[in-house]
Amino acid sequence: MADSKDWELREILRYLGYKTKDVPDQAVLDMIQEMKSLLREHMQPRRVFRIFPIVGIEEGTVDLGFSVIRSKNLAKNLAGCTQAAFLAATLGSGTERLVQKYRKMQMSKAVVLEAVCTEAIEKYCDSCEAEIRSALGEGWKLRPRFSPGYGDFPLEYQRQMIGVLDTAKRIGLTLTDSLLMMPSKSVTAVIGAAAEEGACAEPNRGCRACEKADCAYRKD
Amino acid sequence: MNISERVRERIIIWDGGMGSMLQERGLQPGELPETWNITHPEVVIDIHRQYIEAGADIINMNTFGANRLKFPGGEGGSVQEIIRAAGQNARRAVEKSDTDREILIALDIGPTGKLLKPLGDLDFEEACRIFAEQVIEGERSGADLILIETMSDSYEMKAAVLAAKENSRLPVVATMVFDEKGKLLTGGTPAAGVALLEGLGVDALGINCGLGPVQMKEIVKELLAYASVPVAVIPNAGLPRSENGKTVYDIDAQAFAREMDEIVQMGAVIVGGCCGTTPEHIRCMRERCALRKPVPVTEKEHTIVTSYAAAVEIGRRSVIIGERINPTGKPKFKQALRDHNIDYLLREAAAQQEAGAHILDVNVGLPEIDEPSMMEDAVREIQSVTELPLQIDTSDMEAMERALRIYNGKALVNSVNGKEEVMNQVFPLVQKYGGVVVALALDENGIPETAEGRIAVARRIYDRAAQFGIGKKDILIDGLAMTISSDSRSALTTLETISRVKEELGGRTILGVSNISFGLPARPGINAAFYTMALQEGLSAAIINPNSEDMMRAYFSYCALAGLDSNCRDYISRYAGQNGQGTLAAANQAQKDTGSDTSRGGLSLGQSIQKGLREQAASEAEQLLKAREPLDIINEEMIPALNEVGQGFEKGTVFLPQLLMSAEAAKAAFEVLKAYMARQGVAQEKKGKIILATVKGDIHDIGKNIVKVLLENYSYEVIDLGKDVPPERVVECALEHKAALVGLSALMTTTVPSMEETIRQLHEHVPGVKVMVGGAVLTEEYARTIHADAYCKDAMASVNYAETVLGKRG
Repeated sequence: MADSKDWELREILRYLGYKTKDVPDQAVLDMIQEMKSLLREHMQPRRVFRIFPIVGIEEGTVDLGFSVIRSKNLAKNLAGCTQAAFLAATLGSGTERLVQKYRKMQMSKAVVLEAVCTEAIEKYCDSCEAEIRSALGEGWKLRPRFSPGYGDFPLEYQRQMIGVLDTAKRIGLTLTDSLLMMPSKSVTAVIGAAAEEGACAEPNRGCRACEKADCAYRKD
Repeated sequence: MNISERVRERIIIWDGGMGSMLQERGLQPGELPETWNITHPEVVIDIHRQYIEAGADIINMNTFGANRLKFPGGEGGSVQEIIRAAGQNARRAVEKSDTDREILIALDIGPTGKLLKPLGDLDFEEACRIFAEQVIEGERSGADLILIETMSDSYEMKAAVLAAKENSRLPVVATMVFDEKGKLLTGGTPAAGVALLEGLGVDALGINCGLGPVQMKEIVKELLAYASVPVAVIPNAGLPRSENGKTVYDIDAQAFAREMDEIVQMGAVIVGGCCGTTPEHIRCMRERCALRKPVPVTEKEHTIVTSYAAAVEIGRRSVIIGERINPTGKPKFKQALRDHNIDYLLREAAAQQEAGAHILDVNVGLPEIDEPSMMEDAVREIQSVTELPLQIDTSDMEAMERALRIYNGKALVNSVNGKEEVMNQVFPLVQKYGGVVVALALDENGIPETAEGRIAVARRIYDRAAQFGIGKKDILIDGLAMTISSDSRSALTTLETISRVKEELGGRTILGVSNISFGLPARPGINAAFYTMALQEGLSAAIINPNSEDMMRAYFSYCALAGLDSNCRDYISRYAGQNGQGTLAAANQAQKDTGSDTSRGGLSLGQSIQKGLREQAASEAEQLLKAREPLDIINEEMIPALNEVGQGFEKGTVFLPQLLMSAEAAKAAFEVLKAYMARQGVAQEKKGKIILATVKGDIHDIGKNIVKVLLENYSYEVIDLGKDVPPERVVECALEHKAALVGLSALMTTTVPSMEETIRQLHEHVPGVKVMVGGAVLTEEYARTIHADAYCKDAMASVNYAETVLGKRG
């Protein structure tokens, strides 16, 4: 399960716009602390994943048998993989209510809470990856999480992922008509798995894998 | 068929999983199982037949997800086509199967797969219409009953049950999904689920999916403890795990049957299987359970009101109903209602929750406003910031019905009385939507002067309510606190009424406590004493001001003295560290001292704003008003401080949380100055109106709200249209308010087109209006291509642009 001890202050500050050299003042640090304990109380992290064999990868398409995804970036991310996990994870609707409450009552807390939530869901996804690793058994290496909307991986594929994983029923994760995830503190991702010995060099992870060079949150 | 009668004789066996069986037969990941009604009817019929032959008394049509959202028509078939085919398949299976038992066919309704507003984007009434369509076609296609299942959101479940009740007379069974902690995905408890569903009048209720029978037992125990209708238990075949892309479950048929047998002995009278169960599971279960004698279903006497998450039981320890959301005698509150200032109501709600209220009364009655729509908005909005159940307080029947309809949970209803006309209006609403109702012990002849008279009215109210199917447990008799300043024995009459309702009638009671002291000086003392006396007589609930420390101290003291607070835990946690008398005054003094200490330490108003200290900013503003004019304070102290923070933000030395904390501190100081100016009759200067909206399709409003906070700081009048706003509404509002500037936000690439459309319509219909835009996916260039007048990369940029359009202060 998600462990709030893993939440990194530095990451939370980064989501709030602080660079490594910037020193936050005590009031902000106190508020982060307060929002962390509130979130701990209200979040109900849930996840669902399924692992599928990859039928074939060609340039620009990934064939999963029941579905063919057209995306050069995803194909590149999955190159060398023979299985792929679909993961959906959410902090739950209690978290969403909390966020929406503070958006109405006190925006400074809403902004800080959002940043804490972002760190929480990222760390939760890390723990889900660990579960996927153990479901795969020995000898597999995972690729970085790759989500619909990254690069040319169509956001519309969100619908398929939600359907295949039956997320509304299993973990309460739904999509709006405009493809926004609700609860919003949620992640869907495709995670490639390559056999250890055959694995090609680890591709760029995290920010370096992303093409959005002008992103405010980019780590370099 | 009558479920209650049937389960008196024997256990009802429901069928097992359909989706997981179809997967075995080749259903692909992501493929909708309901399409197989049309594409592979022989497979569906065969599965039904297997379940019948395994011993199911009821089979589900393969219609779980057959709703308009998943089947909009066209190639995959319409909702009607799918349900019709499903009905045919079920009937065909009954004909083909080799049994002489009577087999019933249930219309199976699962969730829509969307989240309802305000969290998601599906409107409550739209959800009702979607379910209604299924209900109507299901009944037409031969359903004998309706199963509403796998519901993890109390609000969606309410929409589904209402749709079933409004569109059919078939029996309704509703089952919910709980997690291993015994909560719905949206946070509700079993008790809350039972209260909601029984209030809506289901024939049976229970739990399905999500867990295996082993994990369900504790939750089943809870359901059985609260439910007065038959309980259904329909688990998965254990817990799922993923194996080679397939979902497999961990309990075999024999083990499943063993667990179900225990569950039947606990008291469940309807049993079946959900995901991963097979005809074999049902066969084994029937063999073990079918001949058990059903545990009789009994009436439970819990009085419960709920919200989407919390259930409050009335009758154990007395509950506190916060009375502050009520305009009577509050000019500021009245003004807030006239201005449709919901934020004001939300603050009252939050403050009362903080102070310890268990339920909040909501009264928004004011002759000059549209009460029904205000009531609906208020209930919806208050529910979005608090999980406390609400008491709907109105004498306007339309307002009451609209509030009860959209309320997420089982509400407290305020009020009915012994007048025939009023009972005939209120009870049908409570019968339909559920609720606990406050009943004033008065009638056509007025308020009886004696307790005897009030008890007689209470009896008549109970009798009349029973005719509407409303039990005694769902009625709180109001013993009517009348001021002792006009009749010195009135308190004694009220107390006697309270005591006799409890002892003679076995009923529950409520009082609006503070009426007792009307017209007297030093009311808090009398009120608190009377409250204590009423508690001693067994008062179940009190409508009081939870911000009144006298009342709260009376409550906590009484609970501690009456053995209702084990080890005085609540009392100590509230009052530890305070010495004997005058604790509150002392605490206030201490606070003031720290306040002035800090200011002596040299924090000016400007510094308080820069540091984002709300209380200090407010108290500094108060101090400064003793010597200076409000406008001077704004221009010489506050604006320079805000500008400095704003510039720091632009330079990257001040960060978003600080920017907002400063804005909030400034807002607190502004409130003080505004109140002062209002007292002096000074008109408040506003620089101009700005309309803000998150565009249609987009429900992520954080960016827009940040901009709002800052613009208000700079004295703009912000008209906030909220999120998911259609272009037409923005245009209409811009015309109505003659706004020169509109700010739009969009978070997703998918919603930028509706931003573009809004800009187009604004430019077409509102000559001269400027549109500024912002949002995560926008860039300067992107903004240009959709013809925005300005792109604002952050909140300060929007303030700067507003100043170029509407002019700087001074």
